[in-house]
Amino acid sequence: MARVNILIAGVGGQGIITAGKMIAEAGNYSNTKVLIAETHGLAQRGGGVNIHVRIGDVNSPLIPLGKADYLVGLEATEVLRNLNYASRKHTTIIINNYVVRPVLPKVRLLSLQEVLDKLKGCKVYVIDANQIAINAGNIKAANAAILGFLYSLGAFEGLISEESFIKALKYESNIKAFKIAQVIKINGIDINGI
Amino acid sequence: MIELSTTKRVILGNEAIAFGALSAGVSIAAGYPGTPSTEIIETLMKYGKIYTEWSANEKVAFETAYGAAINGAFALTTMKHVGLNVAADPLMSSSYTGVEGALVIVSADDPSMWSSQNEQDNRYYGLHALIPVIEPHDPQSAHDLTIEAFKLSNKVKHPVILRSTTRIGHIRGPVELKPPSRPVLGKLIKDPKRYVLVPENARRNRVEQLKRWEKIEEEVEGLNELIDNDSENLIIASGISFGYVTDAMKELDIKANVLRLSTPVPIPKRLILKAVSNSKRVLIVEEGEPIVEYQIKDLLYDQGVRVELHGKDLVSRVGEMTLDKVYYAFSKFFGLDLVTEYLEVPQDVPPRPPALCPGCPHRSSFIDLKKAITMASFKPNETFISGDIGCYTLGLLPPFDAQDSSTDMGSSIGIANGVYRATGNIPIAVIGDSTFFHSGISALANAVYNQTPMLVLVLDNRSTAMTGQQPSPSKGIDIGEVAKGLGVKYVKYVDPFDVNSSIKELSNALKWVRENRQPAVVIAKRACALLVMDNVEENNLPKAIVDLEKCTGCSICYDYFTCPAIIPRKDKKAEIDNYTCIGCGACIPVCPFKAISLKGNKPEKWDELWLG
Repeated sequence: MARVNILIAGVGGQGIITAGKMIAEAGNYSNTKVLIAETHGLAQRGGGVNIHVRIGDVNSPLIPLGKADYLVGLEATEVLRNLNYASRKHTTIIINNYVVRPVLPKVRLLSLQEVLDKLKGCKVYVIDANQIAINAGNIKAANAAILGFLYSLGAFEGLISEESFIKALKYESNIKAFKIAQVIKINGIDINGI
Repeated sequence: MIELSTTKRVILGNEAIAFGALSAGVSIAAGYPGTPSTEIIETLMKYGKIYTEWSANEKVAFETAYGAAINGAFALTTMKHVGLNVAADPLMSSSYTGVEGALVIVSADDPSMWSSQNEQDNRYYGLHALIPVIEPHDPQSAHDLTIEAFKLSNKVKHPVILRSTTRIGHIRGPVELKPPSRPVLGKLIKDPKRYVLVPENARRNRVEQLKRWEKIEEEVEGLNELIDNDSENLIIASGISFGYVTDAMKELDIKANVLRLSTPVPIPKRLILKAVSNSKRVLIVEEGEPIVEYQIKDLLYDQGVRVELHGKDLVSRVGEMTLDKVYYAFSKFFGLDLVTEYLEVPQDVPPRPPALCPGCPHRSSFIDLKKAITMASFKPNETFISGDIGCYTLGLLPPFDAQDSSTDMGSSIGIANGVYRATGNIPIAVIGDSTFFHSGISALANAVYNQTPMLVLVLDNRSTAMTGQQPSPSKGIDIGEVAKGLGVKYVKYVDPFDVNSSIKELSNALKWVRENRQPAVVIAKRACALLVMDNVEENNLPKAIVDLEKCTGCSICYDYFTCPAIIPRKDKKAEIDNYTCIGCGACIPVCPFKAISLKGNKPEKWDELWLG
């Protein structure tokens, strides 16, 4: 059976753990094993958060270094902080076009372009998940947009069906964001494959 | 809503433990919140029709469950690893008396210290106290082994530790739930010869304890499993390491016999001897300390078995188990040439530590305190701020830099006692309301009767906020009255958002301590912003707005107040992120140019929620 490793990173409050829950539930509807490792506690207060999502024939919760099939940043710079889970050959990187300033005095923020410069030679997609979510009717659906985009890339092929996702996404705005993100891929709009 | 049917559900490991306890017949559950243990009691509160409580601290939680179990009930107590240190006193004695019903103690360990001050391996408590330790390897086994833990405890009439870790309690996976059983309550049992540990009784109990231990050594054999793959190599994998070993073997196409160890204390001696006797080489894979390794070496020496054995020489003792650690151990043990390609994390990624929430009242408390220190003519670099465990530990970060130590619950006041004795400098102990009741009170009593000059600043946010706004005794007991009752002569209350009067009160308190050479207590009282948010309509909140005409771009609001909802624009002027701003208004007095104001009306009961 196939095995897929997805690492989703971002900032506490962006719905990253919820994204994990949605994948896990969708997996359950498709009768596919999904393990999600969540980091709670301190991290939920504006700090960096990540979840390890392992789908298929898996028994342990954490992705080994360099072995993420997909590295997703709901916030752009958080992709860099988790870069050691990616390899140039193997990993597809998906970046939400959104940068959040750390709550520390006088920190210099990296721009999206600077983030992209550091990823030269990698397979990178940039997506405006926040805008998709707003278009879908709820800014909180950015995580669902990312899932839709991952789906259209074939991340869940043979493992989790679209119907299962729609059941797991529950809310109309989530489902809408999931679908818009897929269409965007098909039409090739708003995407910069670098 | 999780229904208690037998179909597969995707749930958190901690939820799996809670449902396992319900299936085993738990009737009393008491805990103190602490990551990564909190969701166990939360789940029982939500779904169980049994008595559950958040206790004032882990010792009380333990004693509550123990008191129920010695009277025949099936009881559960939960805490994080360091919490078991607080409960260590009754833990040791409970092993002497045993129990009548069942007592399961969940110790949620946190290797890699995701939200903890150390990564102690609590399987040691099993060896130390002679209490068996059961260790699951995934959410399903967390559920099933919780049931086994209750069965074992009831069968041998002895407490049992269920040891989970962050990656058991906080992973989400499919779990087949067993239906709940009728809660097993107790019936009064009076047996002072067993439960009164005067030396005469304790000596007899000690003999009984060792007899029970022999029985336990027999009983644990069946909880472990040898997977025979007809190999000369044996891998012994304890707890979560079993999952990693399974995946690494598949990934690297390795053939070995595997012993899945669910009882690291005591080890199943017969099973291990059988497995080792059929092997030429043995690798022990365990997270944390070499607890299984020590016991196996001891056993093999006694039995005269010589075999090539590896453990902590190949598996790191630092941090949590990972596949990379197992790959490394396998590469050495099996002589494989493994190269992993991965990208380096760039050096210049700005740090993103957790921060005090938008609307957190105690961001203001720290700012008020620092101003008061100067106003009272204390020298900031000669004033030790003794911190404690909670959200406010984040006061260690810039721009506050207001924690010189923070080691354990209640440590602020305790350490302040010593700081004064060693240096003669008057320290400031900063402690939360829940922490105050947890173990601050006894340290404050110490300061009063030993006449130790210190300012105790209680940051009272009406809850145990860090772990998710669990209720704290502060809701029912007035901290100022407690302090007065202990003999503190100077007790004041401040509202941290009322900046000028807070600074003045804190400064007066510091001066009073200097003159009177004894402790003073100031309580900064305002509720946790998340607790307030739970009780208002979220899209009906006032919002801060910045008058860009008045804003000079001085950066005080975002660089020195650092509310996450205040964002610098390209021209350095401030703007408010409407999505994160909750309209608390704490930033208004911070702006020297009066550029920030509130727009919108206060929701119903707004002031009451913050100050009640």
